[in-house]
Amino acid sequence: MQQRRVLDQVETNRILLNGQLNTPKWWLPTVLGLGVVVLIGFVIIGFMVNRGLGVTGLSRPVYWGLFITTFVFWVGISHAGIMISAILRLTQAEWRRPVTRAAELLTVFSLLTALIFPLIHAGRPWRIAYWILPYDFARGIFPNIRSPLIMDPVAIGTYLTGSTLFLYVALLPDLGNLRDRTRGWQKTLYTVLALGWRGNPRQWKLQTVGGILLSALMLPIFVSVHSIVSWDFAITPAVEGWHSTIFAPYFVIGAVHSGVSAVVTMMALMRWLWKWDDFIRPEHFDALARLLIVVATAWLGFTFLELVFAIYSLDAPEIALRELQIFSWPWNLMFGVFLMTGYIIPVGMWLFKSVRNNIALMFWTSLFVNIGMWLERFMIIVPGLSRRTPFVYTWDSYRPSLVEWSILVWSVAWVTFLMLLFSRFFPLVPLFEQKESQIFVDKIKIGRVNVPAILREQE
Amino acid sequence: MKLTRREFLALSGKATAGAVIFAACGIPERELIVQSPVELPEDLVRGEDAWFATVNPDGRNSDGLIVRVMQGRAKKVAGNVDFPVNMGKHSVRDDVALQLLYHPDRLAGPLSRRTHGGQLAQTSWTQAESVLAAATNTSRMTVVTNPLRGHLGWVASRFAEVRGGRYITFDPVEQGVLHGSIKKIFDADVLPEFDIANAHTVLSFGADWLSSWVSPVRHSVQYGKFRSAETRGYMIHGESRMSMTAAAADMWLPIRPGREGDVALAIANVVIDEGLASAAEITAFTSALPAGILNAYRPQDVAARSGVSAEKIVKAGRRFGSSRPSVAFGGGSAGAHVHGTFALSAIYALNTLVGAVGSTGGVKLNPAPAVEGLSGSATGASFAAWEQELAQWRAGNIDTVIIRGVDLAHGMPNSVDVIDALQSVPNVIVFGTVMDDTMAEATLVLPEKSYLEDWGTDIPEPGPGYAVVGIQQPVVGPTISADEVSLIADARGFGDELLRLAGNDIGASSMQQLVEQTTNGLFNRGGSTASVSAPNSNLFRKGVLQRGGWWDTRATGPSRSFSFPNFIRGKTEAEFSGTSGLGQGIDLTLVPFVSNNLLDGRLSAAPWAQQVPDPMSSAAWATWAEINKEDAKSIEVSEGDILFIKSTSGEIEAIAYPHPGVPRGVIGVPIGYGKIEGGRWAEGRGENVLKIISDKKDEETGALAWAATSVRIQKTGRRLKLPKFEGTVEAFPIEPGVPVLVVAPGETAHEAEAANEAEYRKLFTNDETRREIGRDSIGDRISESESQE
Amino acid sequence: MVTQAGFGNHKWAMAVDVDKCTGCQACVLACQVENNIPLNTQDRFERNRSISWIRVERYWEGEFPDIKARFIPIMCQHCENAPCEPVCPVFATYHNAEGMNVQVYNRCVGTRYCANGCPYIVRFFNYWEPVWPESLRNHLNPDVTIRSRGIMEKCSFCVHRVRRGVRKAASESRPLEDGEIQTACQEACPTSALNFGDINDPNSRVSQMKKDDRYYTLMPQLGTSPNVFYLAKVDEDREIALTGAESEGGDGH
Ligand SMILES: Nc1nc2c(c(=O)[nH]1)N[C@H]1C(S)=C(S)[C@@H](COP(=O)(O)OP(=O)(O)OC[C@H]3O[C@@H](n4cnc5c(=O)[nH]c(N)nc54)[C@H](O)[C@@H]3O)O[C@H]1N2
Ligand code: SF4
Ligand code: SF4
Ligand code: SF4
Ligand code: SF4
Repeated sequence: MQQRRVLDQVETNRILLNGQLNTPKWWLPTVLGLGVVVLIGFVIIGFMVNRGLGVTGLSRPVYWGLFITTFVFWVGISHAGIMISAILRLTQAEWRRPVTRAAELLTVFSLLTALIFPLIHAGRPWRIAYWILPYDFARGIFPNIRSPLIMDPVAIGTYLTGSTLFLYVALLPDLGNLRDRTRGWQKTLYTVLALGWRGNPRQWKLQTVGGILLSALMLPIFVSVHSIVSWDFAITPAVEGWHSTIFAPYFVIGAVHSGVSAVVTMMALMRWLWKWDDFIRPEHFDALARLLIVVATAWLGFTFLELVFAIYSLDAPEIALRELQIFSWPWNLMFGVFLMTGYIIPVGMWLFKSVRNNIALMFWTSLFVNIGMWLERFMIIVPGLSRRTPFVYTWDSYRPSLVEWSILVWSVAWVTFLMLLFSRFFPLVPLFEQKESQIFVDKIKIGRVNVPAILREQE
Repeated sequence: MKLTRREFLALSGKATAGAVIFAACGIPERELIVQSPVELPEDLVRGEDAWFATVNPDGRNSDGLIVRVMQGRAKKVAGNVDFPVNMGKHSVRDDVALQLLYHPDRLAGPLSRRTHGGQLAQTSWTQAESVLAAATNTSRMTVVTNPLRGHLGWVASRFAEVRGGRYITFDPVEQGVLHGSIKKIFDADVLPEFDIANAHTVLSFGADWLSSWVSPVRHSVQYGKFRSAETRGYMIHGESRMSMTAAAADMWLPIRPGREGDVALAIANVVIDEGLASAAEITAFTSALPAGILNAYRPQDVAARSGVSAEKIVKAGRRFGSSRPSVAFGGGSAGAHVHGTFALSAIYALNTLVGAVGSTGGVKLNPAPAVEGLSGSATGASFAAWEQELAQWRAGNIDTVIIRGVDLAHGMPNSVDVIDALQSVPNVIVFGTVMDDTMAEATLVLPEKSYLEDWGTDIPEPGPGYAVVGIQQPVVGPTISADEVSLIADARGFGDELLRLAGNDIGASSMQQLVEQTTNGLFNRGGSTASVSAPNSNLFRKGVLQRGGWWDTRATGPSRSFSFPNFIRGKTEAEFSGTSGLGQGIDLTLVPFVSNNLLDGRLSAAPWAQQVPDPMSSAAWATWAEINKEDAKSIEVSEGDILFIKSTSGEIEAIAYPHPGVPRGVIGVPIGYGKIEGGRWAEGRGENVLKIISDKKDEETGALAWAATSVRIQKTGRRLKLPKFEGTVEAFPIEPGVPVLVVAPGETAHEAEAANEAEYRKLFTNDETRREIGRDSIGDRISESESQE
Repeated sequence: MVTQAGFGNHKWAMAVDVDKCTGCQACVLACQVENNIPLNTQDRFERNRSISWIRVERYWEGEFPDIKARFIPIMCQHCENAPCEPVCPVFATYHNAEGMNVQVYNRCVGTRYCANGCPYIVRFFNYWEPVWPESLRNHLNPDVTIRSRGIMEKCSFCVHRVRRGVRKAASESRPLEDGEIQTACQEACPTSALNFGDINDPNSRVSQMKKDDRYYTLMPQLGTSPNVFYLAKVDEDREIALTGAESEGGDGH
C-alpha cells in the first residue's frame, strides 16, 4: 500500500475547490473547443430534423442503426453512477467516496444524452408529444403502455429524476461550503441552491437518511432501466438475435461493465486535470479493476450463452445471422475488435496488479472497454436487422452516414462539455464525504504491519 | 449531403436561434392538426367517381380498360371486365397511361425549327398547321407509324395514299417472322388465338408470352386458368434466356440461341417415334417436310447442338404428344435469326401433329375484322424494307416524313444511320407526347393527344377467336395546368390532323366520325350474339361506348383443316455476326429482350414504368446485363461491375447482374433504355441495346434478326450499385419451403412442410450434407455477396 | 374506440395462389397507383428504401439447367396477433374489428419500431417527403391520404375500397356479394393469384380456398395468425418426397 498523505480540512478545501475558486488554465480553451463541436452537432441534428431521416444510412429492413446503438450505449454508461454510489454506499465501501459525485454526474448527463437519441431518431420528432403525453381524449387513446417505447421514457425518466435528486442531496453540504467562500452573483447562486444548509445535526441526519433511502430506491430502478431497454429488442419476435430471454440481465451486466469502465476513465482524467492525486488514488483503480474483472467475466458468460442458445435452435435464420455477425466481412473484424477491446485486452491486463495501479494503463484499458461495448450494441442491433427472418430476398446491409457519425461524436463532446461546465461551478469530489472519511480513518496494527482501517460511527 | 457555406451559416443561425425545427422545416400546418376522431383514414370516402370504358391501342395488344375519373382527372386504370381480350385484368403497361397523360414534360405546344441544325422553338398551332399543310402537299412523302390495327393506321395509310406517298410501319422488335410463319403454316393474315386455358400441355419457344409477347394480359389470364384447371396444365418453354415465362414453366429448356427449331423437330421425332400421334396426324405433318429430313433431328443429335439434354427433349415430347390437348407456339428470340422462319414454322407445324389446329385447347384461327377496310393485323415493316426506305431518304428523294408512335432514332440499329437519313429529309414532322430521340431531329414537333384523350378504334390481334372491335374514347378533357392559365398539353389527335389536312379525300373529317361510322356499320351488321343490341344506331353507339367495344362470340374464324406446304425452304442454321477486332474479352451471344415495363422504350418516359422492378432481376432505372456466373467469373466480374458490350455495330455499357439462371454463352440485356431524350425520367438513362444489333436478317421475310448478334464482353473497371429491389444476398431460400412452399402433385402443404423440416434437420445430423448445403453454403453465399458490396 | 356502425360482421382475408403467380408486377404497380405511394426513384432503390406495399419476391432453387425461379407476392399479412401492434407507442397501428391491421398515419411518429416487429418486412418508412411534380398530382387518388415524411405505411387491404363497397351495399339494402369488393392488386392480377374476400362468409371464394390442401401461411411458428394465406406452388420435379418425413418419424404433431 502506498503511503498516503493525510490532509487537514483547509488543505482539502483548497485542493478540491480548485476548480471553482480558481479556474485552471486548460479549462476555458477546452470548454470552448468542445462548445464548438457541440454547436456543430446541434446544427447537424437540426439539419437532420429539417431534411428528414433520409440523411441517415438507414434502409429497409435496417430501420434502426447508429442512433439506437448510441442510445443503448449512453444508457449503459449511466449505470456507472448508481453502481458506484448506491451499491457502494449501501455496502459501506469506503473507497467510493472521492468518485461518487463524478459517477452520479456521469449518470445524469449520459441519461440526458441518451434520451435525445430516441427523440431524434423518430421520423417526426416534433410529434413525440403525442407519444409520451396522453392527448387524444376524444378517441380515448392513451399511449400504448405495452410498448417498450413507452416504458423506456418512464423508466429513464424515473432514473433521471432519482439520480438528479441523489446528486443534489449529496451536493448540499458542499453548496453550503461554496456559499461561504464566494462573493457576488456566485454567492447568490450557491445561497439559493444550498437551500439554507447550515450543517446542523438535524440537517446532517436528514441528508444521510435521504441519501441512503435514495440509494435503496435507485437500485431496483437501475436494474429495471436497462432491462427495459433490452426489451426494446427482446420482445421483437421478428428479428433474429433480438428475441432472447436473457437480454435483461445480459444488458444490465453489460451496462455495469461499460458504466464502471467509464468511471475509471473519468477518474484518470480527474486525477490528471485537477491534480487530485491525494484523493483519487491507485487503490481506487485497483478496487474498480477487481470489480470489473468479475463483472466483465459474467458479462462475457452471457455473451456466449446468448450465442449458444441461438445455435441450439438450429433455426436457419439464426444461423445465417451468426454467420454474418461472426464470420462475414466486415462484421468479423468488428467482432474481433469487440472481443479484444471489450474483454480480452482489458481483463487480461487487469489481472496484473501493476496494471491495476498504473493510471495511464487503466485509462486506456477502460476506454477500450467502451469502444468494445459500443461495438457490442452495434453488433446486436444491426446484423439482426440486416438478416431479418427467412425472407432472404429483403436482406440488406447498413452503413451509417456522415450525419450519424457526427451525431455520435457530438454526443461524446456534449457529455464531456456538460461535465466540464459542471466542474467549473460545483466540486467534482464531494468535500464532505472526503472529510468524513478522514475522520473515520485510522490505522490498526495487525502483527507487524500498520493496516489502514475504517471506524464506523456507532449509532 | 450537399451543404453550401451559405446554407450552413443560415442553418447554424437558425439552429442557435432555436427556431430550427418549425421554421426551417417548413412543417405544414397539417402537422399540427389533431385528427378528427370520426375520420379515421379507413373511413375516408369523398366524392363521386365515374368510370369510362376505352381501349389501350399502344400496348402489346388492345387491352379493354375502364378509367376512373374524378373531377375531370383520370385516377386509375383497370381492366374492362367485359372486354374479351384481357377479361378485366390489366398490366403495368396499362397503369402507366396515367403518367404519360399527366407527364410534367409533356409537350405543351408545337415546336419548330427552320433547318436541321437549328434550335427547336415554340410556335403556335396556326403556324404549325400551315407548315404541316405546306409540307404534306407532296407525293415525295412518307408516313411512319407504329403498327396500328385500327382506324388510326387506316387514316395514316389512306393519307399517304391520297397524296401519292408511302406508308410504312416500324416496330423495333419486329414480329415479321411471326406473321410470316403464321401465314405460311395457317394461311392466316391475323394471328390466331392459343387456347392456353383449356390446354393440358403448352409448348412454347422464345416468346415471353406472360410478359411482353403479343397479348400478355390475355395470356396471363389464360395461364391462371391453365394452372387451376381440374388437371393442372403442364408447361414447357424453350428459350435461351430465363425469362418470366421460362420461370413459370414446369420445364424450361435452356436452348442455345438459334436452336429452337431443332428442338421443335426433335420433339416431333419423339411424338412420332413413340406412337403418340395418329397416323393421319403424322402424315399431315411429315407430308409437309422434305423426305427424311426429320432424321437430322434425332433427340441425341439435337441435344448436342442445343445444349438441352436428350432426356429432357424426350420427356417434353412425351408430354406434348400424350397429355392432350396440347398447343405449340413461339416467337420472340426464337424467330429473330437468319433462319427465323424455319424455326417458327417448325414450331407452329407441331400443332398438326397433336391435332391442335382449330380444336379446344389448341390453335384457333381468328376471323377477318368486323370493320370494312381495316386489316386487323399489324406488324412493323421488315428491316429490309426499312433499309430501302432510309436509302430513299438519304438520297434526297423524300421531302417530308410524318412520324407518329415510334422513336426511329432510338429503335434503329447503328447499321442504318437513321440520324443521317432524318437529316436528309427537309421536313421531319413528328407527333408525340413527350420529347424523344426522333423529335430531337424533327423540324416540326406536334403535341399529340394521349389515347385517354382521343377517339379511335382498335381491333385486337390476336383476338379471342371471334370478332372484336375495341372502341377508344376520350375519358378526360384537356387538363388545365397548375397555374390555371394554360393546358398542360395543347395537344391534337394525329388522326384528326391528317383527316383535316386531307379535306374530304379520306371520307371522314374526324376520328370521332370514324368511330360513329364504325358503330353504325356494326349496328347494321346486327347479330343476336353481339355484345350490344339496341333499337337504333344512336342507342347502339352509346351501348358500345359503355361496354368499351363490340364483339360477337359467334363470329368465329375459319375452322378448315390445313395442309401446309413444305415449310423448310430456306436456311435452317443460325448465323451470328462476328466479333473480330473488338479487343480482349469473352464472346457471348446477345439476347436482347423486351422489358416487361418499358416495352421497346415507348413507355420509358413514365417513372412508374422505370421503377417497377424487372420480374427476374428486380432491377429498375438502369440497364443491366444478365450473365452466367461462370462466364462472369472468367472475366472476374461480379454484380455491379460495368461491362462493355461490343458488337461490330457498336458498343454499350451495362451493369453486370450474374445470376444462376443464365445459360453459359448468353448475355441478356433489356430493350427500352438509353433514350437520349424522353423527359426527366428517361433521358440519358441506361444504354440502348438496339443500337448494337447487327444487320442480319431473316432470309425469308427480311425481318431484323435481332437475336443473331455476337458480342465481346469486357470489364470497364468501373462499378455502380445496381438499383434493384432484391437485397444484398442472392435469394436462395435458407431452408426448404420458406417462404415459397412447393408441393408435389397430390402432396398437401402440411406433408410438404413436414418433409422439408425433416430434410432441413438432416443437414445437421449428416456431416456430408452439412458440408454440402448446410452452414458452409449459407456462409459462402453470404460472404460472397457481402464482399461484393 | 369509436364503434363502426354497420361494419364488423366481416373478416377480410386474402388468398394467394403461389402456383399462379408469374411475377408480372401488375399488382405492385396497381397498388402503387391506387394508394398514392411515392415515386420510387433510383436513389430509393440504391439505398433500399423503395416502398412497395406488395412486393413479388423471386427465389432461386436448384442449379442450372434445372434451376427454378419462384415468385411469391408478399403484402401485409394482416395478422390477428400482429407483432407490429403492441410495440407501437402511440397506437398508430392497431387491429380493427374486421381482421385488418390499420395504420393511422396521423398518429405515427416514425419510431419504425413496428417495422422491426413485423416478421414479414412489409412496413415501409418514408425517409423523405414524397414529392410529385405538380402535373402528376392530377392522378392521385382522393380516397387515400398522402403520407408525409417520417412515417410508416403499408398495405391497408385497400380499406377505402372496402368501406365504399360495404357502404354501397348497405345503402342499397342488400348483402354484400362475394367478389364485389376487389383490392387494387387483385383487380390487376391477370392470373387471379390474388383473391380477396370475407372469410366469415363460408361460401366466399377465400373460404373455399382456405380448405385447399395446399393451404399454408408464412412463418406459422410465430403464431401471428395472418389473414393472408397462401396456396403452395405445385412442381412435379419436387425432390424432397414425403418419405423423408416418414423416415424421420415426423415431429409427432
Ligand atoms: N403454455 C405453457 N407455457 C409454459 C409452461 C406451460 O406449462 N405451458 N411452462 C413454463 C415452464 S415451467 C417452463 S420450464 C418453460 C419451458 O419452456 P421451454 O424451455 O421453451 O421448453 P420446451 O418448449 O419444452 O422446449 C424448448 C425446445 O427445446 C427443444 N429441445 C428438446 N431437447 C433438446 C436438446 O437436447 N437440445 C436442444 N438444443 N433442444 C432441445 C425442444 O424441441 C423445444 O423446441 O415454459 C414455461 N411456459
Ligand atoms: S413507426 Fe409509427 S406506427 Fe410504427 S411503431 Fe412508430 S409510431 Fe407506431
Ligand atoms: S404482416 Fe407485419 S405489418 Fe402486417 S399485421 Fe402482421 S406484423 Fe403487422
Ligand atoms: S390489398 Fe390494396 S393496399 Fe394491400 S397490397 Fe393490395 S392493393 Fe395494396
Ligand atoms: S399480379 Fe398476380 S401474377 Fe402478377 S406478380 Fe402480382 S400476384 Fe403475381
